[in-house]
Amino acid sequence: MMTEKIIVKENDFLGEKYYYTKHSSGLDIYVFPKALTTSYALFGTRYGSIDNKFKLAGDDEYTVVPDGIAHFLEHKMFENENGEDTFLRYAKTGASANAYTSFNMTAYLFSCTERFYESLEILLDFVSNPYFTPETVKKEQGIIAQEIRMGEDNPGRCIIFDLLKAMYENHTIRIEIAGTVNSISKITSDILYKCYNAFYNLHNMALCVCGDVSVDKTLETADRILKAQPDFDVQSIYEPEKREVVKPYVTRKMQVAKPLFNIGIKDTDISPDPRERMKKNAVISILDDMLFGRAGEFYNELYSDGLISESFGYWSEHNKSFSFVSVSGESDNPSEVYTRFKKYIASCLEKGLSAEDFERCKRVSYAAFIKGFDSTDTIANSFLNFIFDDGDMLDFADIISAVTYNDVNETLHGMYREECFSLATIFPLD
Amino acid sequence: MVVIKHKIADGISLNIIETDKFKTNYIAVNLLTALDKKTAAYKALLPAVLKRGTVNYPDMAALNRRYDMLYSTHINTRCFKRGETHIFGFSAHMLDNRFVLDGTDIVSETLSLIAEIMFSPALSDGCFSSVYVESEKKNLIDLIKSKINNKNSYAVLRCQEEMCRGEVFAVSEDGTVEDVEAITPQSLFDFYKEIINRAQIEIYFVGKYDNNLLVEKVRNAFSPIRHVSGFVPYTEVIRNADTVREVSEEQPVTQGKLSLGFRSGAVLSDGDYEKFIMFSEIFGGSPSSKLFMNVREKLSLCYYCHAIPDAHKGIMIVASGIEVDKKEIAQDEILLQLENIRRGDFTEDEYEAAKKSIINGYRSITDSASGLVSWFLGRKLADIEISPEKAINLIEKVTKNDIVEAAKKVTLDTVYFMRGTLKESGENKNDD
Repeated sequence: MMTEKIIVKENDFLGEKYYYTKHSSGLDIYVFPKALTTSYALFGTRYGSIDNKFKLAGDDEYTVVPDGIAHFLEHKMFENENGEDTFLRYAKTGASANAYTSFNMTAYLFSCTERFYESLEILLDFVSNPYFTPETVKKEQGIIAQEIRMGEDNPGRCIIFDLLKAMYENHTIRIEIAGTVNSISKITSDILYKCYNAFYNLHNMALCVCGDVSVDKTLETADRILKAQPDFDVQSIYEPEKREVVKPYVTRKMQVAKPLFNIGIKDTDISPDPRERMKKNAVISILDDMLFGRAGEFYNELYSDGLISESFGYWSEHNKSFSFVSVSGESDNPSEVYTRFKKYIASCLEKGLSAEDFERCKRVSYAAFIKGFDSTDTIANSFLNFIFDDGDMLDFADIISAVTYNDVNETLHGMYREECFSLATIFPLD
Repeated sequence: MVVIKHKIADGISLNIIETDKFKTNYIAVNLLTALDKKTAAYKALLPAVLKRGTVNYPDMAALNRRYDMLYSTHINTRCFKRGETHIFGFSAHMLDNRFVLDGTDIVSETLSLIAEIMFSPALSDGCFSSVYVESEKKNLIDLIKSKINNKNSYAVLRCQEEMCRGEVFAVSEDGTVEDVEAITPQSLFDFYKEIINRAQIEIYFVGKYDNNLLVEKVRNAFSPIRHVSGFVPYTEVIRNADTVREVSEEQPVTQGKLSLGFRSGAVLSDGDYEKFIMFSEIFGGSPSSKLFMNVREKLSLCYYCHAIPDAHKGIMIVASGIEVDKKEIAQDEILLQLENIRRGDFTEDEYEAAKKSIINGYRSITDSASGLVSWFLGRKLADIEISPEKAINLIEKVTKNDIVEAAKKVTLDTVYFMRGTLKESGENKNDD
């Protein structure tokens, strides 16, 4: 076995630890032992739907690729040169395999309850060996077209992208992850190879395994399959994005039972320091619960007035390339919800937040974080998200507990400005 | 994994699944009743109204603040059907006491809170508050109407409804809009007082706690009710379809949704259901199944095509999303793959893959508290006691011939097709 320096990181309070090593191939490998029945492996690249414009080392010109290509590539990776389908390879070990593409990453995964290292070998092997032909590309266009159609008929999905397009002018987060039927028709095997070679460099990737797994055997498997790669030298080009939203309001009609609303709060104040971003993530999550949580004034007043229901929810994203909060639900009167939202925010800005609410919501964030350690699937996915934003999951409990009332107040005042709000709605067809 | 069963009172049981592998504990309180058109809407509405407020926490804000203080232990409502048994009640997923920073006994406090929600609701003039009832009626009606928003699940639901029309199973666990509208605060309160003493109550606890203490706490928590009679689950099973019925509906969407409804000829209580499960796995249970490999990978007709079996009702829906003009091709291919299995046309690899996939799934259940409850509750309804680990032994014994025989029992009953009428996406887009 090749010798590599192995770093152990431990959190005594959580009773969790992981091992890290930079593999000789260039790959960052994380092993997170966990005494559960199901083991899980996640092999991801820092490459998602937002990376549609890039420059290779030595290139003068930028390459611009069709929308939806990262997702298309994810599908095509499952085909192999010898004609064997990757799912059929996994079928022999009994692992349950899948993959996903998000805004900023593509990840391949499996979960299993036996023969972990055989499945790990399949995972590392098929993701390291691309094979595309014009015929297989054409076949996939039919399948993905149906996936896109399914998304186009899904109001919950449509409203998110309507909102992102309303908020962002240039940022490629406004592009649909799977692209459109038209954009994917322009994808060829040559472009797929170009993107693969650019972004599927092991130096741009990470492997996280979690469960009843050993560091030695994981590294042995990596030694066998992975070959050393040159340094990663690809520059993704993201256009600058102004602070204000492009459109304060967008709407469309679709077949829905009742109008849907999604309020976006756009945030461009993103720190280059990963620890600051982790902290702001914790702050936003506490602040969201204070503002929109089920124990709070906003939710309860609107619920009592029949303006919102159980379907009301909120989530946020905060990482090095984008940051926003989304507050969504169903309502017979979305414009009244929006008016009340703006009034409520104005009053919070004026009166300040309650210190008691702050302590309560800090407790909620802490509990939600601890609950995430009961499944190898949740751990691995959350872990990789932290890693890809240069953070560390095992530090997050301490980061939450260090958040102060002032931090939350500052973020409220920094983020919640009317010029940064967009409202997207979907109304029923006439 | 074993379930330790404790009788709490007549008609009330506590089932403890002891494990220390989680950082959390899980409690589910299930009221088991016969599915029935007259009362379905009541059972769906009741937990939602109870969750609006109690004597000590008179409104939702007060209750939600209490959840937060219990380290975000939300008491969630549950309402679903298994075969023709209607199950409703509450569940909570809580941090284990060792992660609690202020010394609270979360398990004990959560149990008290569930009991308070169930037995000490906020009342006005001796009845449920009409404000809460009317508000939750509106929410339930909205939920029923909103089912059409998700076309994937709606097309499966519509197929089940059409296939089982006239059978109890066609009754929705949420009731109908008309049935919900007819409920009054008084009629709901009368129903509540009766059902709380008549439904069989199965409480599940997954996690680690002093078992004797837990039994005592549950006994205290459920002491306000006096049970009158037992409930025996029953589901009508039709084993064969005589003729195939076609149902087609137009919807203003871009895709077509094809749902084929089959009578599977097998149910969990038969005692050899694993034979059917092996069949449905090979047919359409995973990405290495015949449906995925042929309808999607070979013919490129769809993004998803899979078989959804129902272990209690003895039906199976094959669900897919396709181009509207590809309905016949897709249907022919799905039926051809069924025919292939009936003829024994599947390989040793497919057989082994199905086995491994099911075993992997069964073993994984032991890593999920709610998955364990769902497993054991389902077995209880079928009157069989078997853990996921033991069920693996039965899967191991299924032969290829068993699979062929299981496939031969499957008959097509109903073809449901949602015909999308929008030609091109983008015609109702507002941007780009």
